[in-house]
Formats: sequence, structure tokens, C-alpha cells
Amino acid sequence: MTRSTPTMRAMVVALGALLSSVSAAAGTDALWSHKQPTAADLLPPAQAFALVAAEQHQDYIDVSWSIAPGYYLYRKRLAFAAEPAGSAALGTAQLPVGAKLQDEQGDNEVYRDLLTARLPLHGGRAPTRLRVRFQGCADIGVCYPPQTQVIDVVASTP
Amino acid sequence: MRTILLFLFICIVAAGGGFFAYRHFAHAGNVVGKPLPAGIQMNDLDGKPHALEEYRGKLLLLNFWATWCGPCLHEIPELVKLQTEFGPRGLQIVGPAVDDPDAVRGMLGTLGINYPVLITAEPETMIKTMEQLDNPVGGLPFSLLVGADGIIIRRQIGEFSAGELREMISSHLPT
Repeated sequence: MTRSTPTMRAMVVALGALLSSVSAAAGTDALWSHKQPTAADLLPPAQAFALVAAEQHQDYIDVSWSIAPGYYLYRKRLAFAAEPAGSAALGTAQLPVGAKLQDEQGDNEVYRDLLTARLPLHGGRAPTRLRVRFQGCADIGVCYPPQTQVIDVVASTP
Repeated sequence: MRTILLFLFICIVAAGGGFFAYRHFAHAGNVVGKPLPAGIQMNDLDGKPHALEEYRGKLLLLNFWATWCGPCLHEIPELVKLQTEFGPRGLQIVGPAVDDPDAVRGMLGTLGINYPVLITAEPETMIKTMEQLDNPVGGLPFSLLVGADGIIIRRQIGEFSAGELREMISSHLPT
């Protein structure tokens, strides 16, 4: 077997150092991703508050979110409308009891992890799409602008 | 054996360096050290347009906020104090609001803001401005400290601590 030259050894050392630095940065970030987000790795709103589905049942629609760890949605900032406007009559959203949160905006109810809002359907007509508005924050003290998203209403799977 | 030890030592040093460099640059954003982009214009609450170039020559703290943002409302009283204390020495705080103009007007008295508050007809326009200033997620509060020469000194998403803000401002006041 040929002995390694100083140049080869230097290349191996340089390569090892490079891989170590990259893996340290990436690995540490992966570890941190299970903890609180920092300002540097804030998720885009669509990932922090992922609007998962709007499922139509016989006389209601369930709208659900998957909320990333370390983020929350305000109950008072949820709004729903048929799209196009007036294409169906929606009742008042039925929402679960949220966690209490007191902040500069007073006493609030907020939702974490998973949220399903139930929208009663009046008149037997369901919209094909919903316009959904929501707003939330990250626990590190950063808030996102209100988001408006239009989502297709799909038939529920039995 | 010496080669292996040397290799391990270099790996550890490089890993540490890589980690700290990654975290540092991830926080710094890519606008720091660059001039505040030209041509950014917003309106005051009377509808009068203002270009951010108007504040050149002063230490400018742009603090984007909104009435629906709890951390922003928590930070504003400290900004009011700092404007009073450091305004005569060249500090100018400006508060662009990512909000409905009526909501902003309704809260100004409560907050006692003593610096210019700027708005745009649509909040989406302000969100685009924040994107241009390296805030791609639109998080608030969002602050940029801009030197008297127009160069961006600091970018921050989230609140400053009162001590950090005071130290940062006092160390960059125009001479």
C-alpha cells in the first residue's frame, strides 16, 4: 500500500474540517428544531399555521389547521366566508375552548398543535371554496400579519 | 498518532467555527452593512407621503408594528422614552404600521407615540416593503437601525430588550 503524501494528508484534514463544520451547523439546527424557534429560523406563515383541509359533511364543514410547535393562533382572529361570496350560507363557527393567554391585547384564547373549526351549513348548500382568515404568533415574541387563504371544500371520506 | 490528534483538533475547531459562523450570519440577515434601499415611500396619518431618505443625517430606528401585535405594543413604551431622551441628540424613531389606518389612529392616543407613524393604503404594501428589507416571513415587531450615513447597522425580528436597545442607540448616535 502506498504511503500518503503530505498533500494528501492535508486534503483529508481539510475535507474532514469542512464536513465537521457543515454537519455541526446542520445537526445543531436539527436538534433545535424540536425546541422553540428563534428569530433566525421562523417558519413562513403557511408552515407555522398550515391550513390542512376543509371537509364537507352532511350539514357542516370542518376546517382544520396543523400548528407548528412554538406557534399559536388567536381565536378572535379567525374568520370564514363562502367563496365566491354569498354562494352558501354559513352559520357561526363552532370552536373548541382554547388555552388562556393574557398579553397586551387583553385576555385571549389561543390554539396550538391542531385546530378544527366547525361551520354549520344553512339552506343545504355548501360552497365549493372557503375564504379563511387567521392570525397568530410565535412564542418567542413575534407575530405574523393576518393571513387570508382560499381553500377548496372537499367531500369527507367515510 | 500525531497526525490523528491534529486532525481531530482541526475538526473540533472547524466544527465550532462553522457553528458560530452559521448562527451569526443566520441572525444578521443580508441587509446589514448595506444602504437602506432608495425610494421607499409611505404616508403619514394625514395622507402626506414621506420618503425614508428624509431622515438621512439622523440615527434612524425603523420599528414596524401593528395594533394586533402584542410584542409590538409591549415594546413601544420603551421607544417613546428613547425618542424623548435621545431625540435631541439625533435619534429619529419611525413606526411604519402594518395595519389598517383606522385601527392605527384608534390606538395612537393610548400608546402616546411621540414619533412619526407611517402607513400604506394596504397593509400588503407594507409587508412587501418588509420583504425588501429582509423580513421574508413578515414577522413583527421588525426593526432596522440605520446610521446617519444611510447604512443599515442592525436588523431585528422580535423585541429588543430595553437595555440592548438603549446601548445600541447610544453607541451609534451621530457625533
